[in-house]
Amino acid sequence: MTTKETVPFGVTLAPSADQRAARRRALRAIAAAGAAVLMLGALDPSARADDAIKIGILLPLSGNFAENGQQTLTGLKMYFDEVGNAAAGHKLDLIVEDTQGKPDVAVTKARKLVERDEAQVLTGVVSSGEALAVNEYSRDNKVPLVFSGDAGADELTMPGPLLNPYVVRVTQNGRTVSAAAADWAYKKGWRKVTLIASDYAGGVDVMHGFAQSFCRLGGKVTQENWPPIATADFGPYLTNLDRTADAVVTFNPGADGLRLGRQYSEFGLKGKLPVLDIYGTVVYESNLAQLGDAVLGMYSSLFYTPMLKTPENERFVTEYRKRMGSMPSNEGPNGYVGAHALVDAIKAVNGDLNDKMKFIAALKAVKFPSPKGDISLDKYGMVIQTMYIREAEKVDGQIGNVPIATYPNVDQFWPFSEAEFESYKYTYKDLKGSLTDCGKVLAKK
Amino acid sequence: MIWVIHTLNGIAFGMLLFLLAAGLSLIFGLLKILNLTHGSFYLLGGYIGLTVMRLTDSFVLALLAAAITIALLGAVIERFFLRRFHLDELPQTLLTFGFLFIFADLSLWIWGGDPLMLAQPRIFAGSLPLGDYVYPYYRLFLIAVGLVVAGALWWFQEHTRLGTMLRAGVDDAEIARALGVNVSLLFTLIFAVGAALAALGGVLAGPVLSVYPGADFEALILAFVVVIVGGLGSLRGALAGSLLVGILDDFGKAFFPEFALFTVFVPMAIILVARPTGLFGRG
Repeated sequence: MTTKETVPFGVTLAPSADQRAARRRALRAIAAAGAAVLMLGALDPSARADDAIKIGILLPLSGNFAENGQQTLTGLKMYFDEVGNAAAGHKLDLIVEDTQGKPDVAVTKARKLVERDEAQVLTGVVSSGEALAVNEYSRDNKVPLVFSGDAGADELTMPGPLLNPYVVRVTQNGRTVSAAAADWAYKKGWRKVTLIASDYAGGVDVMHGFAQSFCRLGGKVTQENWPPIATADFGPYLTNLDRTADAVVTFNPGADGLRLGRQYSEFGLKGKLPVLDIYGTVVYESNLAQLGDAVLGMYSSLFYTPMLKTPENERFVTEYRKRMGSMPSNEGPNGYVGAHALVDAIKAVNGDLNDKMKFIAALKAVKFPSPKGDISLDKYGMVIQTMYIREAEKVDGQIGNVPIATYPNVDQFWPFSEAEFESYKYTYKDLKGSLTDCGKVLAKK
Repeated sequence: MIWVIHTLNGIAFGMLLFLLAAGLSLIFGLLKILNLTHGSFYLLGGYIGLTVMRLTDSFVLALLAAAITIALLGAVIERFFLRRFHLDELPQTLLTFGFLFIFADLSLWIWGGDPLMLAQPRIFAGSLPLGDYVYPYYRLFLIAVGLVVAGALWWFQEHTRLGTMLRAGVDDAEIARALGVNVSLLFTLIFAVGAALAALGGVLAGPVLSVYPGADFEALILAFVVVIVGGLGSLRGALAGSLLVGILDDFGKAFFPEFALFTVFVPMAIILVARPTGLFGRG
């Protein structure tokens, strides 16, 4: 069939069949492209029918928090690999971005992951600074966020100005690890303790958590020592330490914990004043071999220890050591549990993450045994998990944190009810320097 | 007795600061370079010492290996990079700043992010009993090393031919050159010695402070505080500044703990107001 195309001025052109077909193809392509551009503008990117589910991972892989980031990433990947990087018939695309441990970089990378890579959910995040920044981005842009890195600021999952309906946290908060420590310390018969904690919001948060529970039981903090972060020499603090106390409670993350561990025994305190190390910052797994006998007998509290004899944990530790060549501390299991929660929730919504509130509800409903113990979440999206009191002992020639007491199902307000917790007048921000005053610590609103 | 402990502690910390600051001050005095890579020399020295210590179990070898390697690294940086910008402060400072970042990432790549602690030499394990308290032998050893290094540097400066050349170079490099001093070689040599001192500091600090990402920046800041207090370019100033900062920091933290964050910086602020060139600096 021949068609004549009429153009202005009455000139008739009869293009070849080839030319016409090519032109039609070109027109169609342009129309399709135009339509696509229009649709892109009108639609939420996450609503596009795409088979793979994209998960944006925000972790510090360079800078001072690089080790925490790397370990969390290993944990995340271990679980995703275990399920073949797929859930509910969808492939899981992991896109990893380095936050450098800086809040501004973290937000830039979050934006890149969501807006350019079309990630439907974000996970990871280590430092509290990053956590607060990414939390704000997630809330403003309605992006589901699963904290699977340390990110321990209490307020992130408590009623208050920071609470974000799009957030779930499977890792930890500042106060519960300390509350368990306080309970155990009191039961052990300690009534007066002194404390050494890094001078920053996290340190005060943790020690307030301890003092609050310890005071309520009838104990007392006799002295507060707040060495700044990156204190080179703990000598002045150790020399001034209250030696009439029953024990010293510590929280000194990073290189500080390693230094404190060495210097504590050098200054002759080991064996004189027992140590209760909240979060295991001195007896951190990579410190143990380096500190050697200096740490033997140190008590610590955490929601994990690689020495747990459960099938979930033994399997986890074997695989983790294969990948990293070292014992896991808290970060690896946290990442692993984060990935597990994500996969379970994706399965529960059958791979459809478009209804964000439904996805968040599915996340909050997850319940499974993990290397850390049994995991479930409360209505604010905060993990309910087991706390362990550990003692550094030599097992088969290696020093490890052996569990000696267990506190199952600890929620974020434990040992208080939410109502009782909210009835206290002062938060940790008001109490640095007043933790020795139980009257003020326990003052009601 | 508690006063004795605090004083000893301050002196021990001061001696570590001296090793750091002496190199920085020496290099600035002669080459007029504000060497920000100094922090890297400290960090790399610590890491190299750690590796050698783990391989050979010898603290002396660790010290030697770190000092020699870092001295060579320093010489290379001076000869092939800094030399191109002689007396051109901005490019020099930026260059040393760039190296600081490069070495920080390299170390993270090689040694990872966990803080690592050097094992103590076994003969200095344990502590000296002092009444109710004890004081670690290793810190007494640090004080001794600091004094020996200070003495050696003083002797080198005052009683050797090279020292005389160094002093001539510090006073006026052009005239020294005209008088036949090989200033070019002297520059490289002093840069290498300064770098080696920082590396020694890194190894010696290792069993007390440990080595970890970020230690380079912390060391750099402390070294700057000391040379500002003591006066840039003066060895005597570096020694006085180190002891002053070390002791004030210890007593400050012990007796005014609420100011712990800036006990190191208080003497610096006071000196800057009262004597901007530092205790022994030349105006």
